[in-house]
Amino acid sequence: MLRTGTIRVGLTAGALGLTLLATACGDGAGAPPGEGTGSSLAGKTIALVGYGNSNPWGAYFNKVYGEELASTGVKINDMTTMDPGTQVQKFNQAVAQKPDLIALSILDTQAMVVPIQKAKAAGVPVLAFDGPPDPSVADDVMSVLSDNEKLGEYAAQNIIEGLQAQGRDSGKIIVLTGTKSMLVTQDRMKGFNRVLAGAPQYQVVDEQDANWDPQLSGTIAQQLFAKHGRDGVQAAFGMADYMALPIIQAAKQAGIPVGGKDGLIVTGGNCFKAGIDSIRAGEMYGTATEDPGTIAKQTADYTVRFLTGQNPPQREVIEEGRVTAATLDQFAEQCSKV
Amino acid sequence: MTSADGSRHSAALATHPDPADPTPTPGGRLPRRPGPLTVASVVLLLPLAVLAVTTDRFLTLDNARAILASAAFVGITAIGATLVMIVGSAVSLAVSQTATVVAMVFLVTQHLGLLPAVLVALVCGVVLTAVQGAAVGYWDANPIVLTIAAGFAVGAAATWFSGGTPVYPASDAFVVFNRTLLGLPLSVYALLAVTVLAHWLLRRTTAGRQMYLVGENRAAARAAGLPVGRVTVLAWAFFGGCIAVTGIFLASFNTAATVTLGGTLTLDAIAAVLVGGTAIAGGRGSALQTLGGALLISVISDVLLLRGYSTGMQILVKGLLVLVVVIAVHLRTTRGWR
Repeated sequence: MLRTGTIRVGLTAGALGLTLLATACGDGAGAPPGEGTGSSLAGKTIALVGYGNSNPWGAYFNKVYGEELASTGVKINDMTTMDPGTQVQKFNQAVAQKPDLIALSILDTQAMVVPIQKAKAAGVPVLAFDGPPDPSVADDVMSVLSDNEKLGEYAAQNIIEGLQAQGRDSGKIIVLTGTKSMLVTQDRMKGFNRVLAGAPQYQVVDEQDANWDPQLSGTIAQQLFAKHGRDGVQAAFGMADYMALPIIQAAKQAGIPVGGKDGLIVTGGNCFKAGIDSIRAGEMYGTATEDPGTIAKQTADYTVRFLTGQNPPQREVIEEGRVTAATLDQFAEQCSKV
Repeated sequence: MTSADGSRHSAALATHPDPADPTPTPGGRLPRRPGPLTVASVVLLLPLAVLAVTTDRFLTLDNARAILASAAFVGITAIGATLVMIVGSAVSLAVSQTATVVAMVFLVTQHLGLLPAVLVALVCGVVLTAVQGAAVGYWDANPIVLTIAAGFAVGAAATWFSGGTPVYPASDAFVVFNRTLLGLPLSVYALLAVTVLAHWLLRRTTAGRQMYLVGENRAAARAAGLPVGRVTVLAWAFFGGCIAVTGIFLASFNTAATVTLGGTLTLDAIAAVLVGGTAIAGGRGSALQTLGGALLISVISDVLLLRGYSTGMQILVKGLLVLVVVIAVHLRTTRGWR
């Protein structure tokens, strides 16, 4: 019979062996895209300090960005993460390696101020994509940004259009935001409130931070529907589709009709397949783009222009789209990649 | 669990004080002074009750439904976690990841039919968790270290399995889990059923009583010939079943599963168990107490939300509540053994 100590040693050795095997087998994931193609950017290196693959948006961005640059022969060092503290460490590590470019998606705007200043001092160019950096270092980086204020405006337009189509001359709205400390969230709310100010008959009665969390969104929505009563809310804005869909489920479970001639008007954002399906089913009224594929393609294009010395403008903004049943065919494919 | 083990230790069990009873009463006498848990309960519950009844719309049927509905997902998991804590395995830090994997498996197997998908999901949750229980029960693995590692492994497997992108179902048969009965979501009935089952298991079966004994003094239990390993695995397997049920409801509610679907489920479930008064060191607690803990957290979040406090304030209060109860339980335990 084996002794406990022997089993432990065996388990440890087994785990170590599996780790080594996984490392050996998984080496392909870290291989530079387009290696061996021998095209114009061979020998150049990009440190991708982006969102981690555990995030659906990040996973698809990383895939498309890698695919778009594969044929150029540029080497991409994967330094992605979803942890703000780890991102600062990886960014500093990237600066020390002196790549030709750091492609950065910022998780914590404030925490990245000093690292960006260090990169500038070290002469390492930084390209921020998706969300903007802190205004104090905005001139120290290049950027390909989502138009977050526009995305907020589109959400408000969806709600106003939906309520007007139902013939409502007044309406109460609840808003479940992403993490409020993020500039992305703040910019979207700026756009949302600006458009809504033009339709004062529709009022926001509750705005809660749901931290980009689908489970929390559902819980908060359940409580808000109870707080305001079944007839107390006519519209809801979940800042991402994966937050808007739990709102719809919470409404249904509370006995509140969704969509149609007199049901709850729900709008989302960061369009994805389930959101498109919901619009098609007549439940979610609308959403807006900020899909990772479009941003990845434009960021890859910017990267090539910069690394080949074409001197692109310091800041580029993605053109966003408003998605409703009327424009569904135009955006369905673009939004169904994730 | 057979009665063979139970009859052998029936004398010990007969003289063992009621493990769910918070205050030891040597000689059957009533305690002269209220214990710290009683004091803490009064200090916490009285102001909460006053605050609640004076809050507009708190005492409505819709709000009661919302409280129950928002307690369901966390509550189901917490009931399972109670058994693990009682058996002396402290906590599992791999809950969110396991629930996420179960949700993905449930959605991806929808093409097999609803019942097979449910069974596969349950088996997945039970096996993943029971394996960890075997390592704790048979080889004395540290549950914290083990479940941190398991959390990484399971989370990585989920990312690999999904490629980081959302998992969508092949059919929508799962929507049956979003239905309501008498105005309450099915998840609430699942919570009640799981609570009754856990209570029966803990109080009416030999295995349940052995969980208390193992949790109270593992070495003594082993020396007395109790099947420590088997009892521990049973507790973890039940826990895995509860996580699986939560994963099934989460997947159904969100209509898709991403790697981050589990959100803060791990810590929320631990909080509910601790607020219920179960001792983290093991040997004491009950499923009913945990149900109370989950409901209490839900009521507090609800009252704060109704009164217009932010999500951040709700999390802060939840943290303080857990701290107070843990200190009270610790004081009670140390005084009880003096």
